[in-house]
Amino acid sequence: MISVYYFGAITLILIGLYAVLVKKNLLKILIGLSIMETGVNLLLVSVGYVAGKSAPILSEGIGPAQAVDPIPQALVLTAIVIGVATTAMALSVAIILHEKYGTLNVEEIRRLRG
Amino acid sequence: MNGQYASLLIALPLISAFFVPLIKGLGKKAVKYYLVAITALQTGIAAWVFQQVYTSGEPIIVMAGGWKPPVGINLYIGHFAALFVLIVAAVSFMMAVFSIRAVEVEPIDKYAMLFLLLMLGATGMIATGDLFNLFVFMEITSITAYALTAYNKTGEAAEASMKYIILGGIGSSFFLIGVALIYGATGTLNMAHLAQLAGAIDPTVAQVGLALIVFGLAVEAELFPLNAWAPDAYQAAPHPITAMFSAFVVKAGLYAMARLLYIMQAAESWSSVLKMLVIMATLTVFVAEFAALRQRNVKRMIAYSSIAQIGLIALAFALGTQAGVDAGVFHMVNHAIVKALLFLAIGHVAVTLGGTSLEHFEGLGKRMPLTAFAITVGAVAAVGIPLFNVFWSKLRILLATLGAGYTWAAALVLIASVVEAVYYFRLIHTMWFAGEGGRIGEGVAVSVILLVLVALVIVIGVYPDYAWSIAQKAGSDIFNVAQYVKNVPLMGVGA
Repeated sequence: MISVYYFGAITLILIGLYAVLVKKNLLKILIGLSIMETGVNLLLVSVGYVAGKSAPILSEGIGPAQAVDPIPQALVLTAIVIGVATTAMALSVAIILHEKYGTLNVEEIRRLRG
Repeated sequence: MNGQYASLLIALPLISAFFVPLIKGLGKKAVKYYLVAITALQTGIAAWVFQQVYTSGEPIIVMAGGWKPPVGINLYIGHFAALFVLIVAAVSFMMAVFSIRAVEVEPIDKYAMLFLLLMLGATGMIATGDLFNLFVFMEITSITAYALTAYNKTGEAAEASMKYIILGGIGSSFFLIGVALIYGATGTLNMAHLAQLAGAIDPTVAQVGLALIVFGLAVEAELFPLNAWAPDAYQAAPHPITAMFSAFVVKAGLYAMARLLYIMQAAESWSSVLKMLVIMATLTVFVAEFAALRQRNVKRMIAYSSIAQIGLIALAFALGTQAGVDAGVFHMVNHAIVKALLFLAIGHVAVTLGGTSLEHFEGLGKRMPLTAFAITVGAVAAVGIPLFNVFWSKLRILLATLGAGYTWAAALVLIASVVEAVYYFRLIHTMWFAGEGGRIGEGVAVSVILLVLVALVIVIGVYPDYAWSIAQKAGSDIFNVAQYVKNVPLMGVGA
């Protein structure tokens, strides 16, 4: 049986992808992108999960043998920051778009064509 | 000198980007000359690394923090990386000189910072030997690219940037899913270690993971279904940045794709991913050339032509043979030179005359003869006329394609080349035989750079042997994975 974490992560990714492909409002598309990134991060963390082990912090009673895989956690930490940076960038561009076009409907933002 | 100094290639642009706000206190001009100085220094370091790698024949392995791979991250500066790091630095230097005249929109300090980070990201993508590190450098490259696309603060620039952000966001998510799958299957992120373990992965996981990674990188590398952002971004970005996109940002994505493909060649389902890439690449060439045919804006036209050439390189890499990879690398070098030349010249026209639509190019032969000459050489070279550099690489790609048995792909690419000739000769005709006008001053610095690039195009075109031998060495760096693994001093962990 597929673990519930994998299932949930893939579902989040698909929901995000759906929003990006179908929605017309730019902000909803950006929300979709964020949901997708969250799903990917969840997938990454669940790849490193080992059943019954605890957080990979060396402290009393918890040695290296009792920890889950720490590498995906480092990866996710990086990926979260990158995701936030991308979202911030996208939102600032969305503000400029609203100023210049007066709309956030992606079907009306079409000056470049060909 | 110690090879570990090659890490300066990453460190220098990063540190100097942080110093830009300090330099800004000295005035606007100071930032622009600072940019020129740093890129010149970077070119010097890259030239030293290039000379080291090609004289010794051994790659430089930089180990971060002294941890041996696969525990630590390593930079692998082999024949390919040394060559392309040099191209990245040299093109950046030329564009920094061009920026002195071309970039007038405020704020210049942010432009300089993003410029340096774009150079850093591309250098890192080419030099790294670690899968996740590749992702990080790819994101540095693409986030700076998003910001630089929107730099002009017009509605068009914001629109182009937004398309790029959305596609790039999807692409990087897919790339990360691919990384998660491959990490989950092998437990390593180091490329050399991955190459050793690739044969033992479950074929389905390897296929899906690799396909997702190729799909993610295809956004950066402008392959067919995912390249809709590219012509918009090329048209709306500042002129020096357009040249940088075409000359090396795309190349970094393509190289990463080729490197990962060949790393995984022991996986059982490898050839099906290659077939997918052949189809994508051929469609890229075909669609982009026909789209270029009906453009009235010259910058957009060259942007489509650039995408088509990228498709050609991707086709060469997807053949899965030594001849194809060598030809692809050779075409990457030639295309970087030719497209830097074309975008520089066209940007120069746009800065001087105020636009890039076809009407601005009427009578250019009389008004700006040197620039018109440079565009002509670039256009003739891009079509692939003998005695110009692109002829040799296109010929080799076609021969390699036929050698690998893809006759239909070679035929489609040839048809597309005819279309390419049509729109380039239309441009040349407009420049030399239409319109009138008096001479306009052309600026010394840009003219010198244009002449250097024209000289390179012609020298490689007449004497291709030296450049071809370099491309062969760089190509075997990608193709010969066994040698790659042997060069990286892997610690005995895991498998």
